[in-house]
Amino acid sequence: MDCIKCGLCNVCPVFKVEKLESASPRGKLILLSEIKRGAIKLDVRITKELYKCSVCGICSEVCPSNLDLVTFWENVREELVNKKIAPLPVHRKVRDITYREFNPYGGDQQKRAEWLNFSVGKSRTLYFAGCTASFKAQNIAKATANSLRNLGVEFTVMGAQEFCCGSPFLRTGQKDIAKMLFTKNIKTWQREGIEEIITSCPGCYKTIKEDYPKFAEESKIEFNLEVKHVSTVFAEEIKKTGSIDLIATYHDPCHLGRHMGIYEAPRDVIRRSGIKLVEMERIREFSLCCGAGGGLRTQFKEIAIAIAEERIKEALATGTNVIITSCPFCEYNLSRVGGSRVRILDLSEIAEKIISP
Amino acid sequence: MHDPIYTALSGVSKLETHPGILSIYKYDFLAIPKRLLRFVKTPICVVQPKNDEEVVKILEISERFGIPVITRGTGTSGYGGCVPLERCIIVDMKNFNRVVIQDHTAVVESGAIWLDVESYANKFGKALRVYPTSATVSTVGGWIAQNGYGIGSLKFGSIGENVEWLEVADYNGIKLIKGDKLKYYIGAFGTTGIILRACIRLREATPIRSSTFECSFEEALRKIDGAYHANFKDRCHMKFERLGDGDVLLVSYEGEGESSELGEILWGRRLRPLKALTTDKIYSEAVVPYENAFEFYKKAKEISLGLEAIFASNCVIFLGLFGRNLKQYLKALKFVKIAENLGGGVYTTGMLFPHKNKAKRELKEYKNSVDPEGLLNPNKAFQNNAFSKIMKIGERFLWTV
Repeated sequence: MDCIKCGLCNVCPVFKVEKLESASPRGKLILLSEIKRGAIKLDVRITKELYKCSVCGICSEVCPSNLDLVTFWENVREELVNKKIAPLPVHRKVRDITYREFNPYGGDQQKRAEWLNFSVGKSRTLYFAGCTASFKAQNIAKATANSLRNLGVEFTVMGAQEFCCGSPFLRTGQKDIAKMLFTKNIKTWQREGIEEIITSCPGCYKTIKEDYPKFAEESKIEFNLEVKHVSTVFAEEIKKTGSIDLIATYHDPCHLGRHMGIYEAPRDVIRRSGIKLVEMERIREFSLCCGAGGGLRTQFKEIAIAIAEERIKEALATGTNVIITSCPFCEYNLSRVGGSRVRILDLSEIAEKIISP
Repeated sequence: MHDPIYTALSGVSKLETHPGILSIYKYDFLAIPKRLLRFVKTPICVVQPKNDEEVVKILEISERFGIPVITRGTGTSGYGGCVPLERCIIVDMKNFNRVVIQDHTAVVESGAIWLDVESYANKFGKALRVYPTSATVSTVGGWIAQNGYGIGSLKFGSIGENVEWLEVADYNGIKLIKGDKLKYYIGAFGTTGIILRACIRLREATPIRSSTFECSFEEALRKIDGAYHANFKDRCHMKFERLGDGDVLLVSYEGEGESSELGEILWGRRLRPLKALTTDKIYSEAVVPYENAFEFYKKAKEISLGLEAIFASNCVIFLGLFGRNLKQYLKALKFVKIAENLGGGVYTTGMLFPHKNKAKRELKEYKNSVDPEGLLNPNKAFQNNAFSKIMKIGERFLWTV
C-alpha cells in the first residue's frame, strides 16, 4: 500500500482513544511495511493492533492519496486468518456460535422472525431484517415491516431461513464462513424466487449489494438481485409529511454513509417527519463512527465504548438528546453506552410514525 | 539491555517497549529513501506522560542514563524533526491536551490538536489566528517547534509571531519563556527543551468569506491586500483537486459577506492538503520575501512539476512538487537554493537543513547552557547529521539540473 505517511489519517477514532501510533492507520501501514521488509516480526501483539479498527473508512476519506483502505484492512485481516494468526479469541467464539446457530448472537433461528406481528405471504421482495434487528433490536424490524406494509410495499420474510449475511466475518477477514452463509442465503432466495431485497441494516446492505456479487461470480452463480437500504425506500415512497414535535440529530452509520454513499435519504425522511434536524459537528463523509463495527465492539469493547461516548457527547452538544440513526448495530452500541442520557431512534420508527394511518 | 531504564520509566509514565510498535516511531511525514534508513534508529521506548511531574522525572532518567529524548506530537511534519538518529526515549505528548481560553489568548498544552483548540475557542466566540493546514491531526507543540506558517498567516504571520509565552521542561526543571528568549524554542524542534504549554493569541471568531480569481501569480500578488488568508494554486494543483485547469488564487477575508462558489469550496478544503502528493512525488518548500516572489515563481516553475503558494505577512511560502528520483531530488534542493539566492531560504530546518539555520551559533550556545550533555533531540535544527551531510553533498551537484 503506497502510503505517503502524511498522518492525516490520525483522525481515526480508535487512535484518538488508544493514542499509541500502532492504532493509527499510518502506524498499521508502517507495521505492515516493516514486516514486509523483514525489519520486525508479526506476532500476537501486532495482530491485535491490526484488529484495533472499526473499518469505519474515515482514513480512506481523508487520505490525500485516495487509498482504498477499507478493502485493504479487510484483505490484511483475511491474510492473518489464512496464516492462522487470526481470528482473535472473541471473533473465533462468534464464528463458532454462527457455525452452530447461523447468527452471531446465538439466537434461536426458529424464533428469528418472532418480531413479525402480522402475516406475510409469498413475494418477490424480501425484507432481510439481519441478525441485530432480529434478535437484539426488534423494534427496528417491527417498525420497518409496519412501515413497508403501510406504504403498500408487498414483501415477505424468510424467518428461520434467513441466515446471517456474513458481514461480521467479512470485516474480520473470515471469508470462508461468510461464503458459507452466502451460499445458504442465496439458495433460499433462489428457491423462493426473490428478486429484490430491502434491508434495514447497513452492514447487511453493503454485504449483499457489494460482496455477494463477488461471491456469486466466484461460485459461478447468477446474481441479479436488486438490493436496497430501507432509508432509500422510505425517501422514495413516503409522500406524506409528518408533524412529529421533536428536535433530533442524525448519526450517519459508516456502512451506509461512507461505504455506500447514502447520506441524503435518511435526512429527507427526517425533514418530512416534521422533526427539527440539528446536525452534529462531524457528519456525512466525516461522521464519527459509533465504534461498534469491524469486530471492534466484539473484541475491544472498551475502545468501542469510548468512541460511542465521544459520539454521544457530540450529539448532546447540539442541544438535543435524541439521536436518530439508520443502523441496528449503531443503535445497539449508542443506546447501551448512552443509557438514560440519550434517546436513540431508528429511522424506521420515524417512518412508521409519519405513515401510520 | 535496557531493563534498568524500563524499570525506572515504568514507575513514571505509560511505557511502550514492543519492538514492532517502536519501529513506527522511526518515521514522521518525511519520505526517507530505503538506503538511508540505516541512519535511523529504533527508539528504546515510548512514554506518554500525563503531567509536568512525569515529564520532569523522564528527563531525570534521561540524564541519569545518558539517553536522549525526542518529543513527539503526531509526527506530521515532513522535516524528520522527530526521527531518531540515536537510540532514545520518545516522549509522546498526546496526553497533554488541555485548553484554557482567556480574554484574547488560549493557554494550550503541547499535545492538543489544532482543530480541537479551534473548536473549543469557537465556543467562547474566539478563533485561532493561525493554524496549520494539517490542523485536523497536528499538535500545538509540533507546529511551534517548527515555527510553521498556515491558514491566517497573511494577516498574522507565523505561529511564532502569535506565541505570548511558553512553558518548557529541561534538565533544570520547568520554566516560563517570554520575550526574546522565545527564539530559542520556536523553530528549535525540541532541541532546547520540551514544550509543555503555550499561550497563543486569538482573534474574534468572525466569519470568513472567500473569493477566487483565475489569474497569474504576478496578478495574485496584487490582489491579497487586507486579506486574512490567501493561497495560490497552479493548474497542476487545481487538476488534482478536480476543480479546473487554470491557476487560481483563493483570498479569504474576515467579516460578513458573500463567498464565491469556488471560494467556498477551496476554503472548505483548506484542511485537506497534499491532494497532489502521491508516493512517487515529494514536496519541497521555500520561503521568499515579497519583493522577489515573482522572480522566484518564474524560476521555480521551470524546475517543478507544480507550484502552490501560501501568502504570509512578510513572505511567501512556496511548495514545489517534484518526482522521486535523484534528478528530481536535486531539483527539489535547487528550489531552496533559488530561494536563498533571492533572499529567502528553507521553510524550516528539522533533520534535513540544520546547516541552513541562520541562528546556528546562538542556538548552539544556548543549548550548551540548558542541555550540556546534548540529550534533547540531538542532531537536529542546528546540529549536523547524516541526512544534512547528504543534503550538503547534493547541493554541490545542483549545476547538473
